[in-house]
Amino acid sequence: MKRSKLLLFITAVMFVFLLGPFLVIIISSFSSNAVMRFPPEGFSLQWYRKVLNIEMFRTTFWMSLKTGLAATLTALVLGVPVAYTNVRYRYPGKNILELFFSSPAIVPGLVIGFSLLRFFIYVARIPVLTGLYLGHTAILFPYTVRVVSASLRNFDRGIEEAAVSLGSSPLHAFFAVVLPNIQSGLVAAFILAFITSFNNVPVSLFLTGPGVATLPIQMLVYMEYYFDPTISALSSILIVLTVIIIQSTEKLLGISKYM
Amino acid sequence: MNRFHFKNTFILLLLPGIIFLIIFFLSPLIFVLMESFKGAEGGISFIRYREVLSDPQFRFVFIRTLKMALIVTPIAVLVGYPSAYFITKLSSAKKSILMSLVILPLMTSPVARTYAWIVILGKYGIINQSLTSLGILREPARLMYTEGAIIVGLLQLFLPIMILTLVSAMENVQDEVEEAALSLGSGKAGCFFRVIVPLSFDGLILGVTLVFTGSITAYVTPAILGGAKVLTLSTLMRQEALVLMNWEGATVIAVIMILTTLVLYNGLRLFKPRTLV
Repeated sequence: MKRSKLLLFITAVMFVFLLGPFLVIIISSFSSNAVMRFPPEGFSLQWYRKVLNIEMFRTTFWMSLKTGLAATLTALVLGVPVAYTNVRYRYPGKNILELFFSSPAIVPGLVIGFSLLRFFIYVARIPVLTGLYLGHTAILFPYTVRVVSASLRNFDRGIEEAAVSLGSSPLHAFFAVVLPNIQSGLVAAFILAFITSFNNVPVSLFLTGPGVATLPIQMLVYMEYYFDPTISALSSILIVLTVIIIQSTEKLLGISKYM
Repeated sequence: MNRFHFKNTFILLLLPGIIFLIIFFLSPLIFVLMESFKGAEGGISFIRYREVLSDPQFRFVFIRTLKMALIVTPIAVLVGYPSAYFITKLSSAKKSILMSLVILPLMTSPVARTYAWIVILGKYGIINQSLTSLGILREPARLMYTEGAIIVGLLQLFLPIMILTLVSAMENVQDEVEEAALSLGSGKAGCFFRVIVPLSFDGLILGVTLVFTGSITAYVTPAILGGAKVLTLSTLMRQEALVLMNWEGATVIAVIMILTTLVLYNGLRLFKPRTLV
């Protein structure tokens, strides 16, 4: 039994390393010190008040939220039909096309953002915000395809065939029979894609301009100039939100099986 | 193939995705690729590549980036394999709790996660405070803005990915196979290295690919923990473009970054993991 104790030890150390930093952030966010110091010398809620009072955090939060929602919905609209063909059809060149569809997840995000900036914003003169939305849609697309494909694979195709053989058109069968049955997969794809967009830095990095920035980018900018625990407070808020989302979706959908 | 669909419906279903990616993903990349070969007076030239590749700072940063990925990846494997094995063997209730603890960091803002290391490694951070109060250090050591800080940050960033891929690979190894090996006289360690590892090899290669390429292209970790003092390929690219306004240089670095990832992806694919991409 000695060996399994070693395994337990390694796993425990791994989890301390993985999750310890979260605890550290949350503790430091309640600090009364104006400079990052650990352990804090006193307790205060001032950094939470400050986060809520900084307007740039509010505006960029909304921008991240809107960009994430728009990009996620677009990626789903584009991705669901592709996922459907992935699971239901066989055709020549399918492997190459699947590779093409997953390539936005392989090409470094920094390069995707950079190339959108060079091509669309400087050459085609598209507004930065549109570029941000398009870049996010591109990187979310492979996620939606993957998660929805996984969900379609678990759906019994016989049910769809039954609907069609009973006189439903294929299109109607898709909306009336297939979509409702992969609902949890769609919700999982939505949540995973939205979180990916909301947390993204590399793609957004070059796609910022006057009045256009996402929350993580604004956090990075703030950190360059200030060393107070404001970012701790904001990070703690984000961590708690993530825990809530993961807990509720894991219970409802078992999101981990789509990762 | 499908008896109740028109034969070519699939083209219609694929078309929106294909058109979107060609216009908004592929064309910008091709544009950047073409730009990188533009000479000073037009025409095709390699002058930009020559400039970047002969720059000692670029070479230094490029090698440093590879070096850090080469350190992070094996550590992730060494820690990830035993942890993933341990998690796989748990009862499904315990397993799902631990899996959600692995997923939590993956879903949390990388800026928030990396920021924690400032609190830990900073001048008045946990490590410095405890070492100075114990009298081991007379004054705070510089732990931030070092390669070590970036390595620690990358490790925390990518360990969950390694563990997730390994767990899903090991789940496919049936308990019966393991029991057979054990009952045939294989020791536990022998069973692990000669049965579990080979059977989860695809997952290992996938994990290595994701962690290695991720380490090379990561931006947030080196930006926060390395700053301008310890540049990596991605922070160098940002500096060239947004600080020095050297767009030509940034373009060449962008192309080099894509090539590096593509070479790594395809190189590691030679090991033939079925699950890759």
